[in-house]
Amino acid sequence: MKDQYKVLIIDDEEVVLDSCTEILTGGDYEIATAADGKLGVRRVQEFQPDLVFVDLKMPGISGLEVLEQIHKIDPTIVTIVITGYATVSSAVEAMKQGAYDFLPKPFTPDEFRLITHRGLEKRQLVLDTIALRREKELLRENFAAIVSHELKSPLGAVQQNLFTLVGELSDTVTEDQLRKLERMKSRIADLVDLIHTWLRAISVDIETIKEDFEPVSVPSVISKAVESIEPHAVRKAIEVVASIEEPLSPVFGDEGTLTEALVNLGNNAVKYSHMGSEVLINAKEEDGHIVISVSDKGVGIPEEELPYIFDDFYRAKSGKATAGGAGLGLAICQRIIETHDGSITAESELGKGSTFVIRLPVYVSDTNH
Amino acid sequence: MGEQKRLLIIDDDPDFVEGITSILEGADYAVDVAYNPDDGFKALQTDPPDLLLLDIMMGRGAEGIMVARKIRKDPVLREIPVLIITGIREQIAFLFPGEPVHPRFVAVDELVEKPVEPDFLLERVNALLEAAEARKTETS
Repeated sequence: MKDQYKVLIIDDEEVVLDSCTEILTGGDYEIATAADGKLGVRRVQEFQPDLVFVDLKMPGISGLEVLEQIHKIDPTIVTIVITGYATVSSAVEAMKQGAYDFLPKPFTPDEFRLITHRGLEKRQLVLDTIALRREKELLRENFAAIVSHELKSPLGAVQQNLFTLVGELSDTVTEDQLRKLERMKSRIADLVDLIHTWLRAISVDIETIKEDFEPVSVPSVISKAVESIEPHAVRKAIEVVASIEEPLSPVFGDEGTLTEALVNLGNNAVKYSHMGSEVLINAKEEDGHIVISVSDKGVGIPEEELPYIFDDFYRAKSGKATAGGAGLGLAICQRIIETHDGSITAESELGKGSTFVIRLPVYVSDTNH
Repeated sequence: MGEQKRLLIIDDDPDFVEGITSILEGADYAVDVAYNPDDGFKALQTDPPDLLLLDIMMGRGAEGIMVARKIRKDPVLREIPVLIITGIREQIAFLFPGEPVHPRFVAVDELVEKPVEPDFLLERVNALLEAAEARKTETS
C-alpha cells in the first residue's frame, strides 16, 4: 500500500475545488487542484497523482480531451469525471475514454469521500498488478540464470576433467577406451546444449532482437549454418549440399538468430536422415521473398503429426532414429522467423523425407527517401 | 622462456579447479588456488601472480565481478592479465541486461566458457601472458 495517495481535482468552479479539498482534508491524502484543463494536464505531469477528478464542462480544452491527455501521460492513473449535467451520454462517453467512474453534481461530502475511496482502491489494484507482473518477469529471468548455473556447473566440472583425462591418458589409452571417453564428452556436450536451448525458450524475449536488425546476407547465414551442421552430418556420412540461386537480395534481421534457425532445421534434417544420405539447403528469391528450403530424404513426418511440429516440447514419435533433443528446436525456429515477419512451413512424406521452407521478406533499402 | 609463470585461480568449484589445474601444471605453470573471493583477493595482494583465472558465479551470486572491480581500482593489480572463466555466456547478459555480452570488467581481460578445451585454455593463457610481457617492456 502507498503511504499517501495523491488526488488532483480539475474544475473551473472555485467553490467545487474548495469544498472538495475540505472534504478530503484530514484524510490521508495529498491534494492538488487546477482551475482549467490546460493547467490540469500540466499538474498531472508535475504532481503525478493517483486519482484525478475532471469536470467535463470547462472553458478551454474540454474534460474529455483532458482525460485523453492524462491517459497518454500515464494510463495507470485512475480518472473520475464530474459532470454537471448528469446525462448518461456524457458519462458514457467519458467512460469510453477510460474514466473509471462518474460523479454527478451536486454531490454530498459522503458521496465524494466514497467515490474517492473507491477510485483509490482501483488505483492500488492497478499498481499491485503492475508490481506482480514485474516480479513475475524478474523471477522468470532469475530462475533461468540460477537454474543454468546450478545445472551447468557440475556438468562443466565433469567435462573439464574429461578433457584433462583424455590429454593425460593419451599415451596409455587404447583406441576403444578413447572412443568411450569421446562419447562421454559428446553426450555431456549435448546435455549442455539442451540446457541452453531450454533456457533460451524460457528466458529470452525474442522481440528484443528487433532492436538490432540490419541488412543480412542470406548466403553468409547459410554458410555459417552449414559450418555448424557439418560435424553432425559427417558422423552419419551425410552430405550437406547448399545451393544458392543468385542474385539474392539481403533480408532485414539478426544474423545470429537466423543462423540459429537454419542450424536447427539442418540438424533436424541430419538427425532424421538415414546414414549416407543427403541434406539439401536451397535459397532463391521469389516475389519479394527469400525462400530457403531444407530438405532431407529421411524418415519423414506422418501427416497427422505435421500440424503440431512447431509446438513447444513436441517431438516426432515416428522417427526410429530419434537422437534426443528438447522438442523445442522447431518452436524456437518459428519464433525467430516470425519475429522477422517471415513464415516457416513443412511438407513431408512418411518414409521419403521432409522439407522445411522459410520465407523472409527481402530488405528494401530506403535510401531513396 | 625465462622463469616459471605463476597463475592464480579463484573459483569455488574444487572439481573444476582440479581439472584446469592439471592442464596448467602439465604445461609447466605454477598454480595457486583460492576457493572464495575473499581469500582470492588476499592472495592477489600478498603475492601478485602473473595471471589470474577468475570465476564469476561464486557464493551468493556474481561475486567474481566484485573481485574484478576491486582489481580495476588497484593501480598495481590492474596490470595483471585476467582470464575470466564462466559457466555460461548468457549469464553475463542476465547480470548486465542491455549491455554487450562481453563487458570490460578490467582493462586486460578475456572471457572463456566452462568447460574449456585444454589446448584453447593454454593458448589463451599464453597469449595473455605474452601481451602482458610486451606491455611491460614497452613501459620500461
